[in-house]
Amino acid sequence: MTSYSNGGVFNPAYHDSETLEIDRRSSRKHQHTNPYARVDPAQWGHNVEPGDNGEWGAAGDGWTRRENVPMGLISTRLGSPPLQQNPNNTSQIDPDSQYDRLPPVQLHSSISGNMTMRWRGVTMRRMSMFPNADPAHAAFTEDAIKSEMENEEQNLIKELVALSTTEQIRKIRELPVSFEEKKHVRTQVTAFKSSGQYHHFTSLTDFSQNMSLSMRRFGYSIKSARQTLQLWQGIMKEIGGKFGSSVLNYFVLLKWLLLFNIFSFLVNFGFITIPLLVYDLSLNVSPNVSFRGLELLTGAGYFNYTIMYYGSYSNETIRGLLDYDMQLAYFFTISVYMVLCGLVLIFSMASSFKKNYALADPASNSAWQLLCSWDFSITNEKAVNQRKNNLRIQLKESLSEKAHRERQTTSEQLKQYGIYFGSWLLSTGLAAGCGASIFYLCHYEDERVEDTETWSALKEAETLLVPFVVSLMNMVIPLFFSLFNKFEQYSSQRKQIYALLFRNVLLRISILGVLCYYWMNTVPQKFTCWEPMVGQALYRLVIVDFIFLMLGSLFGEFLSNVIGTKIQPRLGVPEFDVARNVLEIIYAQTLAWIGIYFSPLLPVIQILKFFILFYLKKVSLTHNCQPPRRSGRAAQMKTIFIFLLFFPFFVGALSIVAYTSWRLTPSEQCGPFRGLNSTFSVTGEWIDHVNNNSSTHWVGWIYQNVIRSEIFYFLSTLIILVIIYIFWQLIQGRKQLIVLLRRQIINEGKDKSFLLEKLQNLQKSCPEVNKKHKKRTTHTSRRSAERSSGSQSNSNAMVQVLLARQQLEEEERRRASGVSVPSDISTSDAVTQAMLARQKAERQDENVYEITDGHPPSLDAVAQSLAARQRAEDRDEYWSTTHFNQSNPV
Amino acid sequence: MGNKQTIFTAQQLDAYQDCTYFTRKEILRLFYRYRDLAPQLVPLDYTNHPDVKLPYELIGSMPELKDNPFRQRIAEVFSEDGEGNMTLDNFLDMFSVLSEMAPRDLKAYYAFKIYDFNNDDFICKSDLEKTLNKLTRNELTEDEVKMVCEKVIDEADLDNDGRLSLEDFQHMINRAPDFLSTFHIRI
Repeated sequence: MTSYSNGGVFNPAYHDSETLEIDRRSSRKHQHTNPYARVDPAQWGHNVEPGDNGEWGAAGDGWTRRENVPMGLISTRLGSPPLQQNPNNTSQIDPDSQYDRLPPVQLHSSISGNMTMRWRGVTMRRMSMFPNADPAHAAFTEDAIKSEMENEEQNLIKELVALSTTEQIRKIRELPVSFEEKKHVRTQVTAFKSSGQYHHFTSLTDFSQNMSLSMRRFGYSIKSARQTLQLWQGIMKEIGGKFGSSVLNYFVLLKWLLLFNIFSFLVNFGFITIPLLVYDLSLNVSPNVSFRGLELLTGAGYFNYTIMYYGSYSNETIRGLLDYDMQLAYFFTISVYMVLCGLVLIFSMASSFKKNYALADPASNSAWQLLCSWDFSITNEKAVNQRKNNLRIQLKESLSEKAHRERQTTSEQLKQYGIYFGSWLLSTGLAAGCGASIFYLCHYEDERVEDTETWSALKEAETLLVPFVVSLMNMVIPLFFSLFNKFEQYSSQRKQIYALLFRNVLLRISILGVLCYYWMNTVPQKFTCWEPMVGQALYRLVIVDFIFLMLGSLFGEFLSNVIGTKIQPRLGVPEFDVARNVLEIIYAQTLAWIGIYFSPLLPVIQILKFFILFYLKKVSLTHNCQPPRRSGRAAQMKTIFIFLLFFPFFVGALSIVAYTSWRLTPSEQCGPFRGLNSTFSVTGEWIDHVNNNSSTHWVGWIYQNVIRSEIFYFLSTLIILVIIYIFWQLIQGRKQLIVLLRRQIINEGKDKSFLLEKLQNLQKSCPEVNKKHKKRTTHTSRRSAERSSGSQSNSNAMVQVLLARQQLEEEERRRASGVSVPSDISTSDAVTQAMLARQKAERQDENVYEITDGHPPSLDAVAQSLAARQRAEDRDEYWSTTHFNQSNPV
Repeated sequence: MGNKQTIFTAQQLDAYQDCTYFTRKEILRLFYRYRDLAPQLVPLDYTNHPDVKLPYELIGSMPELKDNPFRQRIAEVFSEDGEGNMTLDNFLDMFSVLSEMAPRDLKAYYAFKIYDFNNDDFICKSDLEKTLNKLTRNELTEDEVKMVCEKVIDEADLDNDGRLSLEDFQHMINRAPDFLSTFHIRI
């Protein structure tokens, strides 16, 4: 189209043409070379050619000048009825009236349905109708395509106009057409919209349109600003480009968790710490405690007196402009944060499941590998080559896998199961052993530590023993698991990864479980101020874990890189183990979740940790690692990770915090809840207080009858169970439906091939008719196909082809035997005629076969219908050109 | 900021924002990326819609595309002339479809076109062979190629016509959740 874009003056067609419309149309036919370019964009871009500064300027005019020249300027070009201007300019045609000329069938369509699909369906159908159009008939095909396109486009625009602006934009964006075409549709829609309303409330609509335009611009600028704020976009791109989406998932998750922590820090700091600081700035550190530096590692000593831990928070109500009850603030901040975290996790998990699991089909493995697995985001030559290699290996493996499985004998299988059993036993035993050893270690430490205010430096350093051992186990034991994994031969890579993941989760859960048991049972009895002790323990775990993570990437990845490249090239450069790394950060986050009750500012440490970890891993990745050899299904792995984050880890942390606040007695000496039986009883006291005030009596009622009543929970559980059951049944029904639909698709396919065969036979039987009328037939059939019920299946179209063909032949036969063609041909337009013919054909299609094998039918009927069509088109053109002239009386 | 005003008019930017998945900033960034490919060809003023087309050789040399085995197909599918020569609009179109925001159906439609090497609206065996050769550097034997292609068609062809139509392809894409993240070029 660009050859015309310098405005009308430089356009050769502009000078040649008398009526811009007709000439321009025909002069552009030669551009239509690509069967995909269904619509010659040249037309679309130039519907506003009379404007003096090209289409953009004119389109702008369409926006701003619509009071004077509402639509005459904008779209006479296609002669599209919706936008034609009445000569007297009092205007507006009722939006529906332009469709009156079309037969009512035209409006059957699924207007509310998915128009993108419809549009595309038509496109595809059109393309398959004219796979390789005969050049001799190109003009005819062209014409047919064009007129169909116009219809289609008008329908589309009409549907779009009925929608709200946001929906409109969404739909326009979703159209699978080029930008030029989208822009054209958009202009049409805008013009149509303004024309439809213009008549009634000029200023009001104007105003509302301006409003919606500026609102939209505002929305875009907000979106733009949000993009600027996005963290690490460039780094993400680089990683995705070099290592593919599965490694990128790790970084995305890391960033997501970082945001969790930032939110948690803001909430805790804002609602707990700031009020305390405002109330009382001084730290009541006892004089014999000083900052030694070791605190940074142990979190004990000096830190014990700061706002880091639970112990330093006050239980008073801060009297100021507003009474601020610290107890309530502490309780509600923590619980609201936990509930919000849970909700976010549940929602992202559910949406991820919906997207990635519910639809996933394990059966189509090679199809997936070939057509969907290529990562378009990879931009690094080395990575591309490696990917290609990996894909080749995977394809080969999947080819040989089947043969391999068949060859296995019973003894081999038994051996295999033996190995599975052994490695599962060993890894479960290892996990249990780790838990037990931590338990004894805690006891050992328990005996040595006494409950005094200050510890010597040595004593303080001794507290690092447990976190050190825990982190060491977390680092070393997974290596054993990977070793076991080498011996087992799982049939699919996914099973292997799941097995590995499950074992690692088991290990971490057992260690954390033992630790929590110790904190919940032994610590409260031993220490007078026990919550800060737990907080310290968690702090140490977080810090030591961080150190081990850094050491892990230094030694694990850096050293094996050095070994792989310099000493033992056989081992090769290490891969980035996504599963292990993800588990590490999930574990770290769990520590932070547990710690939030005992140490409200622990998220600060966590933020620093994740921030540094992000850069560290990035550097380590780019320098030491190669992309994973097997690219598993990254999206499914991501779902699994979110699920893991939720299920054992978040739920575990939540239950520990809940147990602490419901069951355990808070310390008598320190913290916001001193003197209470349990943390939760703070709400009871608050409700009692509220109940004294008669105006807020309902709060007490809700508390008594909803929060504290078993019946309420019993009933709601029952209802939820019933709902789940119903949904489950629905799912079963849907599954059956899917099976049925699949069967139907297969049957339709068979129908299609059967009909195609029939058609080919028919064509063979009377080749001379085919040659002459192929185009006509196709055209008619296409038109009727368009009117078909919108189901758009190809076989349906094929049926229409046959029907239309039969109709033609029927007509020919009638002609030969002296039956005149119906008289309405001259008055109705070509479309109606085609419809009538089709109906006739349907009535008589039983007779067809005897006709076709008879004498060659005469061609007059076709000639006549062609003439009728010609007439109709002439009238169309006349119609549009006169309107063009009338609306622009130059 | 004054610079922005001279490249596109406000209406142009509105149209771009309404028809692609990009924000104003991204559109300008993409414009500069486009212009950097051939600063002497692309003017800084697009308000009168100059007629500029960059040849495929330049488009294919972008770092985002230059290592992609399908770069030529991508450029062909999105260019107006079908030969990979692109105007700015085509360029924006291409990256809009390949952006993160584009919905699955749209992506599937264009992916189908990219894999349909012979433009016959079906992915047939020859298309699959071409894809496979592009993805594995011709290192598979002929038999293996044949087997893989047969397997693919066997798995994904719903209506048993021996080739993949757009519907078959979409059906498969709907069951391959990774597709959204892999058919994606970060720009």
